[in-house]
Amino acid sequence: MTGFTVVGKRLPRYDGLLQVTGKATYGVDVSRPGMLHAKILRSPWPHAKVLRVDASAASRMPGVEAVVTAADVPRNRFGFTHLDQPVLADDKVRYRGDAMAAVAASTPDQAEEALQAIAVDYEPLPAVFDPLEAMKPEAPKLYGDSNVATRVTIQLGDLEAGWKEADEILEETFRTQMVEHCHLEPHAALAEVDERGVVTVYSSVQRPFLIASDLSSVLQVPMNRVRVVATAIGGGFGGKNELTMEPVACLLAMKTRKPVKVVYTREEEFQATTVRHPYILTYRSGLKKDGTIVARQVNIISDAGAYVSWGGWTLSKAAIHAAGPYNIPNIKIEGVLVYSNNSVGGAMRGFGVPQVAFAYECHTDTLAAAVGLDPVEFRLKNLLRDGGTMPTGQVLDRVTVIDTMRAAINAVDWKEVAGRP
Amino acid sequence: MKKRGKGIACMVYPVGGTSYANPGSAFVKVNQDGTAVVLTGATDVGQGSTTVLAQIAAEELGIDYRAVTMICSDTERTPYDYGSVASRVTYIVGNAVKSAAGQAKRVLLEAAAEVLGVGHEGLETSDGWVRVKGFPERKMRVSEAAKRAIGVNGRPPTGSASFNPVTTLLDPETGHGKPYGSYVFATQVAEVEVDTETGEVRVLRIAAAHDCGKAINPMLAEGQVEGGICMGLGFALMEEMVLEQGRVKNDQFIDYMLPTVLDVPEIKVTIVEEREPTGPFGAKGIGEPSLLPTAPAILNAIYDAAGVRIRELPATPSKILAALKVGLARKDEG
Repeated sequence: MTGFTVVGKRLPRYDGLLQVTGKATYGVDVSRPGMLHAKILRSPWPHAKVLRVDASAASRMPGVEAVVTAADVPRNRFGFTHLDQPVLADDKVRYRGDAMAAVAASTPDQAEEALQAIAVDYEPLPAVFDPLEAMKPEAPKLYGDSNVATRVTIQLGDLEAGWKEADEILEETFRTQMVEHCHLEPHAALAEVDERGVVTVYSSVQRPFLIASDLSSVLQVPMNRVRVVATAIGGGFGGKNELTMEPVACLLAMKTRKPVKVVYTREEEFQATTVRHPYILTYRSGLKKDGTIVARQVNIISDAGAYVSWGGWTLSKAAIHAAGPYNIPNIKIEGVLVYSNNSVGGAMRGFGVPQVAFAYECHTDTLAAAVGLDPVEFRLKNLLRDGGTMPTGQVLDRVTVIDTMRAAINAVDWKEVAGRP
Repeated sequence: MKKRGKGIACMVYPVGGTSYANPGSAFVKVNQDGTAVVLTGATDVGQGSTTVLAQIAAEELGIDYRAVTMICSDTERTPYDYGSVASRVTYIVGNAVKSAAGQAKRVLLEAAAEVLGVGHEGLETSDGWVRVKGFPERKMRVSEAAKRAIGVNGRPPTGSASFNPVTTLLDPETGHGKPYGSYVFATQVAEVEVDTETGEVRVLRIAAAHDCGKAINPMLAEGQVEGGICMGLGFALMEEMVLEQGRVKNDQFIDYMLPTVLDVPEIKVTIVEEREPTGPFGAKGIGEPSLLPTAPAILNAIYDAAGVRIRELPATPSKILAALKVGLARKDEG
């Protein structure tokens, strides 16, 4: 296929003019005359029983038009693989980002002041912040009798035979940290009930259709009575993939029949939205003397935080790609997702794979050094080629990893390092 | 002492969600003047998907890019999309837009065929014209074809299509299956300078080569890679949320370190265009893969430069200094 007239061209962004002239309407820009501003009360405890929530004093504060608590949420759970996350905490809080109540008032300051007047009685519970500790039988439990939320296993070939074939076996453990998406635009939404009675939410979200179906579920309103419109978005990176303030914005708008706006502060972005899961990764590989990798075992421990959110799917994607772009005949990958009282891991650009890619590529250089090969030569020996197999058994064609490696090393002169003695 | 080194990292990454259906859909209509409107649930998070989808529609219809109006991401007024996630929009929604535009084009070609005296299969469109293949002087405007389709034939040119990649679920015991319809590959090389007295790392250069299939808009593809490298650099060297009893201690940008323009190295991007037969005009995706090789390439470069292997991210100056001290102690023992 040649002779494209539009495809392949460096055309200016479709929305570029609106953006550079400040006319694009981001979530934080959506505004209505007479709209109310809502603020959300967060748990001061990482793990506690909720004994009582009393918002009666707050609802009498100046400018306050409505307060919602867990009792106002028709179906107070959401989640993609595990229906474990409340819109507003009811029986327990499981991390410091848990929302307790929301207030709509004429000004943001009035809403903030009213939050201080909400009385909540907690009974603090022992908490756990380390996934290794959380897996121990004596650890405090977030749910039921185990903190293990889910496990994943992928195997290819015969690992035991692989170890026997190996001349050398090397093992390394890697750890990755918790990071925030840090999109410049915070989460922001405006909810209103339109003239037809349709609850409409303008929100800076990456998945408006998922937000709409989850809103329909938690509000118990049919999907044709809930409308989600994604505004212009100041970055998402996976951080705007699930319900955040939309349910309370809708509940407050439905209660007051006025538009309700919520904008997260940067502190809320850090404390109360999803993060990249911290992983503990153990890589064990068997090598032949000539540098051929014959076996690989990977163990992944993922800190879910207080709710599973995208943690199960993230772990699955991490596991599928944990062996890297290498042709390894014998593989076993095991992953476990563990609840803790830390921030909730969600979707973030790369969905678990940046963590494993860091580990497998550092490990690759360790293996190369062990057999005395240059990192590029070692990779050339082991990288996937057409017809290569992923740990899932999926056979790949048009495998271009070696083409990309040649292009990258040609761009920098791989052998030459300025200033190297 | 300042020591320089290079490091390399490769990756494989899929396009689209894992195993489960993750369709996208689009409606296309062509107006009497040859302009068009595309309605789709796809959401532009800043990556430029609306631009790419407009280019795909314009190419398929054979009209100018500026003649396409995009209406996106309204759950009441646009057709379903799974979301702007999993590096999927160009590949999946791009296919839906291309198919829907193809249906509308078929209506235009059938109207033009009556005038140009050939079968619709003998016609093609580009630059706002319908032409007879091999006889480009035999032509009529797309706008004339649209007017005829609506006003004479009573068949407004519209299209409606969806696309979902062919995948299977994974076997719960073995993890086997076909979780994705397409994959992309990439390699990045980082050159760094490590100050062995302070432990500070300066990334000097990154060369990135990414296969994203046919790049619908190379400028946007390069922008994705450059942005991804900045994110990968933060992941490698500085970003870390510090929690104490579950409370985030560094909840401000004053103490949560993000890369700034001063930290961003010279970046050289090469796009390797391996056409994907199942992708729109051969396109795949690039959003997430852009950051994957960055951290390991930097960490491998630190090892090459200073001989220290940091296994816990981020590789802060204090971790590097501590590792250098252990290395020196070992040398003294030797």
